Amino acid sequence: MSDHDIERVKTGIPGLDELIEGGFPRGDTILIAGKAGTGKSILATQFIYKGATEYNEPGVFVTLEEPPHLIKRNMIRFGMDLEKLVNEKKISIVDLSPSKEVTPVTIGEYPSFDLSGLEAIILNHVKKLGAKRVVLDTLSILAYKFRSRDILREEFFKLTANITRSGVTLLLTSEIPAQQGGLGVFDIEAFLASGVIVLYNEKISDTSRSRSIEVLKLRGSKHSSRIHSMRITDEGIRVWPGEISPGH
Amino acid sequence: MADKKTRKASTKKDEPAKIEVVLFKSDTCAFCPRAEEVVRRTIEDFGSDVFTLKVINVSENPEAAEEFGIFALPTVMIGGMSVTGIPEPDMLMKMVLGAKVMTNKKVVSK
Repeated sequence: MSDHDIERVKTGIPGLDELIEGGFPRGDTILIAGKAGTGKSILATQFIYKGATEYNEPGVFVTLEEPPHLIKRNMIRFGMDLEKLVNEKKISIVDLSPSKEVTPVTIGEYPSFDLSGLEAIILNHVKKLGAKRVVLDTLSILAYKFRSRDILREEFFKLTANITRSGVTLLLTSEIPAQQGGLGVFDIEAFLASGVIVLYNEKISDTSRSRSIEVLKLRGSKHSSRIHSMRITDEGIRVWPGEISPGH
Repeated sequence: MADKKTRKASTKKDEPAKIEVVLFKSDTCAFCPRAEEVVRRTIEDFGSDVFTLKVINVSENPEAAEEFGIFALPTVMIGGMSVTGIPEPDMLMKMVLGAKVMTNKKVVSK
């Protein structure tokens, strides 16, 4: 491999790697954006699962929204036994969901804080597992947890840089609010990441919807510029690279 | 019944339960030294014998931050409530009073 070749991290998601020259560039931050119910969390979990089971790359899944027991239950449907991988120390699921009983109730916030706590928690797991992949699901929840958005925006840049510094590939999910354009609630999501993937679940008639996926940007890659069909199957997400979405 | 409760409460009053103040900080957090200063001074003003201050350095002990779901620093936690950023002394006072009320309620309801 020459100095100019980019090392690729295979997602293992059927059809997706073909759209992105074989995988995500190692050590990059990739944003997975989409409205509610478009499959962001499934895609992100598949990235961690496939990394651990097929590519010998341990992964850390940080959940800021859904509690781990529900993630495990939901992913079993797609044949992903996360509990087993946790027990085998191939992945860890970091529970920072609001459902944690011991989390204190925040009664005040002053615009003088950083996210070094979150960073320390994530890097601790990365170090323990020797993780090569990290998922943060979902960035958007922080908009509801903290009021000081300017601080958050600045902190996101520090956080993503410090996580990926050691060659970890980071996937961030971002929920696009209904009836809104953009890629998330902070308006800076696209700048945070060197790659952006958007998932859609558009209504195409009174009785049906069509799922699709678009690689909006991926620095250093000749990626597809089309919107491709995508389905959620019994084995998780599957992309049809040769099929252009009928919804677009 | 009421007598019993009052007696129990007043016994506890003689030996006040200490209120635990927990400050989460990190090695890289620029605002943490100032927050620690404010917390220590407020505790002194209030009467340091009423409190125990526990300082958790998340850089050394990330598990503690994970356990309590604390990812913004500095965060001060008192009796199930927390405040993020450099706190104002008034806010800390409110939290302390809230924690005291909760402690008394627990004693009375025992």
